[in-house]
Amino acid sequence: MFEKIPVEVGLVHEGERVRKNDMQVELGGPHIAEKFEIVRVRPADQIEDGAIRITGPDISAMEEGKSYPIGIVVEIAGAKVEPDLEGVVERRIHEYSNFIEGFMHLNQRYDIWIRLSKKSYKKGLTSFRFIGEVMHELFKNELPIIEKVQITFITDPDTIRPLYAEALTTYEARDARARGLSDEEVDTFYGCALCQSFAPTHVCVITPQRYANCGAISWFDGRAAAGIDPKGPIYAIEKGTCIDAEKGEYTGVNESAKKRSMGEVSRVYLYSAFGYPHTSCGCFEGIAFYIPEVEGFGIVLRGFRDVTVNGLPFSTMADSTAGGRQIDGFHGISIEYMRSKKFMDADGGYNRVVWMPQETKERLKQYIPESVYGAIATEKDVKSIPELKAFLSAHDHPVMKRWETGPEAGQDALAGDGRHVQVFSGGDIPLTSGGFRIILKNARITAEKVIIQPIRPGGEHHGTQKP
Amino acid sequence: MSRKSVNFTIKEINSDLAQFRDLNITIGSITRERWEEPMGPTPYPSLTTLRSWDQRLLSRYKPFYMPFCDLCCLCTYGKCDLTGTKKGACGISMPAQQSRTVLIAACIGAATHISHSRDLLNHVIATSGRDCPINVGGTSVEVEAPITRLVCGVKPETLGDLEPVLDYCENQLTQLLAVTHTGQEGNHLDFESKVFHAGMIDHVGMEVADIAQVSALGFPKADPEAPLCDLGLGTVDTKKPVILVIGHNVPPATAIIDHLKETGLFPEVEVTGICCTALDVTRYSPRAKIVGPISWQLRYIRSGVPDVIVIDEQCVRTDTLTEAARIHAPLIATSEKNCLGLPDMTDETVDAIVAGFVSGKVTGALILDPEKVGEVAVATAMAVAPKRKKHSVLPTKHQLGEWAKKCTQCMLCRRACPNDLPIAQAIRLAASGNLSGLDELYDDCLGCGRCESACKQKIPIHSLIVAAADKKTREETYCLRSGRGAIQDLEIRKVGGPIVLGEIPGIVAFVGCANYPKGSREVAEMCMEFARRRYIVCTSGCSAMSAGMYRDEEGKTAYERYSGAFEAGGIVNVGSCVANSHIAGAAIKIASIFAKRPLRGNYEEIADYVYNRVGAVGVAWGAMSQKAASIAAGFWRLGIPVVVGPHGTKYRRMLLGRADKDADWFVYDARTGEKVYGGPVPEHLFFAAETKEEAMVMVAKLTMRPNDTSRGRANKLANYIDLHKRLVGGIPQDVYRLVRTHADIPLTMKDECLLHLSGHDWKESPIPDPTLLPRMVHQKRGD
Repeated sequence: MFEKIPVEVGLVHEGERVRKNDMQVELGGPHIAEKFEIVRVRPADQIEDGAIRITGPDISAMEEGKSYPIGIVVEIAGAKVEPDLEGVVERRIHEYSNFIEGFMHLNQRYDIWIRLSKKSYKKGLTSFRFIGEVMHELFKNELPIIEKVQITFITDPDTIRPLYAEALTTYEARDARARGLSDEEVDTFYGCALCQSFAPTHVCVITPQRYANCGAISWFDGRAAAGIDPKGPIYAIEKGTCIDAEKGEYTGVNESAKKRSMGEVSRVYLYSAFGYPHTSCGCFEGIAFYIPEVEGFGIVLRGFRDVTVNGLPFSTMADSTAGGRQIDGFHGISIEYMRSKKFMDADGGYNRVVWMPQETKERLKQYIPESVYGAIATEKDVKSIPELKAFLSAHDHPVMKRWETGPEAGQDALAGDGRHVQVFSGGDIPLTSGGFRIILKNARITAEKVIIQPIRPGGEHHGTQKP
Repeated sequence: MSRKSVNFTIKEINSDLAQFRDLNITIGSITRERWEEPMGPTPYPSLTTLRSWDQRLLSRYKPFYMPFCDLCCLCTYGKCDLTGTKKGACGISMPAQQSRTVLIAACIGAATHISHSRDLLNHVIATSGRDCPINVGGTSVEVEAPITRLVCGVKPETLGDLEPVLDYCENQLTQLLAVTHTGQEGNHLDFESKVFHAGMIDHVGMEVADIAQVSALGFPKADPEAPLCDLGLGTVDTKKPVILVIGHNVPPATAIIDHLKETGLFPEVEVTGICCTALDVTRYSPRAKIVGPISWQLRYIRSGVPDVIVIDEQCVRTDTLTEAARIHAPLIATSEKNCLGLPDMTDETVDAIVAGFVSGKVTGALILDPEKVGEVAVATAMAVAPKRKKHSVLPTKHQLGEWAKKCTQCMLCRRACPNDLPIAQAIRLAASGNLSGLDELYDDCLGCGRCESACKQKIPIHSLIVAAADKKTREETYCLRSGRGAIQDLEIRKVGGPIVLGEIPGIVAFVGCANYPKGSREVAEMCMEFARRRYIVCTSGCSAMSAGMYRDEEGKTAYERYSGAFEAGGIVNVGSCVANSHIAGAAIKIASIFAKRPLRGNYEEIADYVYNRVGAVGVAWGAMSQKAASIAAGFWRLGIPVVVGPHGTKYRRMLLGRADKDADWFVYDARTGEKVYGGPVPEHLFFAAETKEEAMVMVAKLTMRPNDTSRGRANKLANYIDLHKRLVGGIPQDVYRLVRTHADIPLTMKDECLLHLSGHDWKESPIPDPTLLPRMVHQKRGD
C-alpha cells in the first residue's frame, strides 16, 4: 500500500511527538501567523484524481530547524459527497498524516502545527509529494464515497495569504450553518450503537441540535459515517412524524429505539429529562439532575470532584444514571448539547437550571441567557438545598414561578441519599400488633443473622416526578 | 457496623405490652444493610457454586499439563510414578495430580494474602477503630470494593465490615485445602475449578487488605498524580544510618516512619525497602526509598549499606539472618509467620533490646509489636551505624581476581543457575583481570545465590558479580510513581468512548514477581512499548519496580515519561501485590458503570461480561511465587487471560484454546438467542511465552474480545500485525480468523490483509452481543 513511501505508515505512529532538537522543519505552529488546512467539495470535472501539487519551496528546499508557512488544500468530488461533509473529511487530515513515521500533526483548521523529524527526512521523506500520496490513498480507501481527490501544498507566503483569508471565511460559514441547523430542517437523524458493545440496551440519537452524549459525534459526523458504511454502528434514522415538538418525540426515533434496545426503550423525548428521557451509556460528559426541593436542575460535569448541591458527587449520580436506562429526572448529556437551543427545551432550558459548577458556568457563558446567568448558583455560592433556595429567591430565578403553584406530587422522589435514615424504630417491632399481652419467661431467642435495613423516607420506590 | 456473636440477657422487664424474665437473646451476626441493590444469585459462593461457569471456561481452554515432576510423594504409599497412563496407589492420574499440586500452590498463595490481610486488618482496627470509614478515592470512587461486592454480596462501609468478609475467605480456604487430601477429589477439571475458586477468594482477600490500608494509613486514594519516589541502589545516601525493610506487611515499616517523624530524625536516617513493603512504605511516605525487587536482597545486604534489617512476611530470603550477621547488621523479625528461630523480645524494653544489638550479644530478635519495632529499629540504626561503618562483604577488585583464580571450570554454577547464565566463562575472564563478563551477568542475575551453593571451591560467586558491577549499582537511580490504589470510576467513564471508538486497544497489566529470564529491563521495555501504542498499562508489585528501572533515549523512566492516569498511554502503578485487586476491580467496575449490571453476589454474569467484553490481559513476566499462581487464577475465573515468562511453565499447566476448532468458539448472541461464531478471542487463558517478543505479540492478540466494535478490532489488529511483523516477521497467519467484517481491517494495512483473506476462503460474520450464558439472552418485553 505504501511501498513507495520512504518511511513507515501505520497506526502505531499516531501520537508520536517530534521534539525541537529532532526536528528537520516546522510547518505552521505558534511562530507562523498564516497556516491552514481545508477540504473543499468541487464538481467532478474540476478535479484531477491523484494530482499532488506543491506551490512554493518543497521540504528539501527548506532550511533545517526553521519554521515555514503552510496551506493544505484537499479538493474532493463524488456523487454522494455533500458540502456538509467538508468538516468531517477535513479532520481526517490530522489522523492520516499522523500515521506517517516522524510526521507530527497537531490541531486543525487555521491552527495547524506540523513537524518533520530529522530521522524521517534522512530516510528520504523530503517532499510533500509523499504526504499527499499517503493522504490520497487513505481518503480513497476509507471513504469510498470520495471518487476523486487532489491535494495542494502551499508554502509560498504570497500564495497563502489570499487562500488563508478565504479559508477563514469558509470555516465561519460552516460554523454558522452547523449552529443554525435545526432538527426541524432535516428529515434524518442518526443513531449510534457503538456503546452497545459495553451497554447493550443504550442507543444514542444524534440530531443537529443534540450531540451524542460522549461529545464525540455530531449530526454531520453521523451523516458522513452512515453514508460511508450504511451497515455500520452509526445509522440513519428517518425521523418520521413529530408527535410532540416541544418534548422532541418522533415516530421514527421511537421505532428505531425500540428495535435497537430490544424493546427496553420504546419512547424517547429528545429535549426533556422527564417521562422518557434519552438513555445514557457510561461515558457521558455531564449529568442534568433534578432537584425536587426547588423544582430545578443541577448540572455537573465529569471533572467536578466535590459533592454537588444535593450532597451527591458526580460519581454517585452517574451510577444511578448509566446503563441504558431511562431514569426520570436524571440523564447524561454532552457539553455540546448544552450549547444547543434545544437543551432541555421542554423542561424550560436554562430557565430551569439552578446550579452548576463555577467552571462550567463560565465555560458556557455565551450560551446561557443573560437574564438567568446571575441567578444560577455555583459551589462558590451555596453548599446545600436550603442555601440554594435562598439564593434563588434572592436572585429572582425564573424557576420560582413554579413554586407559586405549590409543591408537586412526589416531592420526595429523589431525596433519598440514605444519610439521615432512621435505622430502627419502636414502631417496627411486630410485638405491638394485636391486643395481646406477651409474657416471655426463661426465653431464649437465637438468630443466625439479623439484617437491619433502613426504611426509605420516600417509601419502597422512587416516586415518579412530573414536571 | 457488622457484629458477630451478639449475646444479651435481660433479667426482667415489665411493660404494658409484655413481661420478660431471664430473656437470653443470641444473635449469630448483625449486619447493617444500607444497600438497596437486590441480592444476586451467588453471595458467598461455596466450592461448587460457580462450578458450571468454570466448566464453560475449561471446556474452551483445556488444561495442557506439563508435569514438572512425574511423581507424587504426598502420602506414605508413595512415591508413586504417574508417567504415561500409570495411576498412583490412591488411584490418582497424572492430570489430576498436576492440578492437585496447582491447587495446593493456589491455596498457599491465597492463604498468604488472606492471613496478611487479617493481620493488617487487626492492626488498623486496633489503631483506627472498627468504625473507621472505608475511603479508597473520595467522591471519585462510587464502587469502593468491587470484588467484595461481587463475590460476597456485601458493601463494606467501615473497617469492621471487612471482618466477616475475611471470615468467609478463611472458611473457604480451609475447605479448599481439604480437597487436596489423599483420596478426595479425583477429577482434574474439578481440581481446576477449585483452583479458580482459590483465585477468586484470593482476590477478595487482597482487596480487603488494600482498601483497609488505603483507608486507615492515608495512602494515595486513587490518585493519578501520586508522588514520584526514589528507586534504586544508587539513590540511597550511604552516609546516613540506613534501615532496610523487607517483605509485604507494612505496619512495622510505617511505625518506623512514625517514630522518625516524632523524634525529628527523619532527615538523618534513610528508610529503604525491598519487595512490597517497600512499595507500601512509599505510599505512606514518599521519602522512603525502594531499592528494588526481591532479587536485590542479597546484593543490597552484602553491599553493607543497611545498618539494621527489619523483615516481616513473604518473599523474604530465609537465610537473611546469616546474611545480616555477615555485615554485622542486627535483624528484627516482626511476623508470627516468620520467626527464623529468633528469641521473642516483644516484652523487653526498647533500651534493653537496643543495648543487646549494639553490644553484638544479640544478632536478631523477634518483636511482635510494630510500635516497638519502630522505636528499636531507629535507635539501633543510630547507634550501630558509626560502629559498623557500612561493613561490606563484597570483594575488592584484587580479592575478586584471587577468588576467580580458584575456579576449576566445573560448570556446576551454570547448571545451578535458573537462567543458565555463562558464569564459569565470566569467572575465567575475571581470573585474567577482565571483569566485563561478570559485569554483564549482573543485569540478568536473579540474585538467588544457587551458584554459590553449588560451587565446590566455595567462591562467593554472587558477590563477585555484584562487585564487578559496582558502577552499575551506583548508577541505579530511578524513580517510581507510588502506588495509587484503586482506579476511579470517573477514569473508567472517560475511557469508555476511546475504547469503543478504537483509540485505546486494550488494558495490559504487568504484575508479579521478578523471576525474569533476562532481567528487569524487559518489563520496562514492554510497559513503554504498550504505553507508546496507547494501551492503558497497569503495574504492581515487583513488576512495578522493574517498570521504573530503565531510562529511555531521553533519560526518562516510564513513570516520568507517561502519565499515572488510567487512560490511553498511561502507566498506572496500583501498588503492592495486594493492590492487584484494583486491576480486577477496574474490569468489574466496567460492567457496573457502562451496563449497570448489578454486582451484588452476581459473579457469573459479571465474569461473562468481563470475559466477552473487557480487553484486559495480565502479564506476570517473572511469576515465581504461589501467590502469583492464585492471583492468576483469580483473573482466569473472571475471564482475563494471563501471560507468563518462560519460568511460568513450572506452574505445571497452561490453559490453551484451540483456534482451529471452530466449534469451540460459539457464543450466544444476547439479542437473538442464536448460537453464533464469535471467533477465537481471547485465544488462551494462560500462556507461557519463551521470549519478550513472543509475549508482546500474544498480549496484543489476547486483548481482542467478541464484542469489539470494528474500530476497536481494527486498532487491536493493527497493533497485533505490526508487532508480529517487527518481532516475529511477516503478517501473522491467523488474521483471517480475527477479521469479522471489512470494517475490521486496519486502514493502513488494507491491501496486505485483503490479499491474506483471499487466500483463506474468508467470509464476513456478524458482530454478536456475546454471552456464554443462555440465561443472559435478552427476553423481549411483553414476551
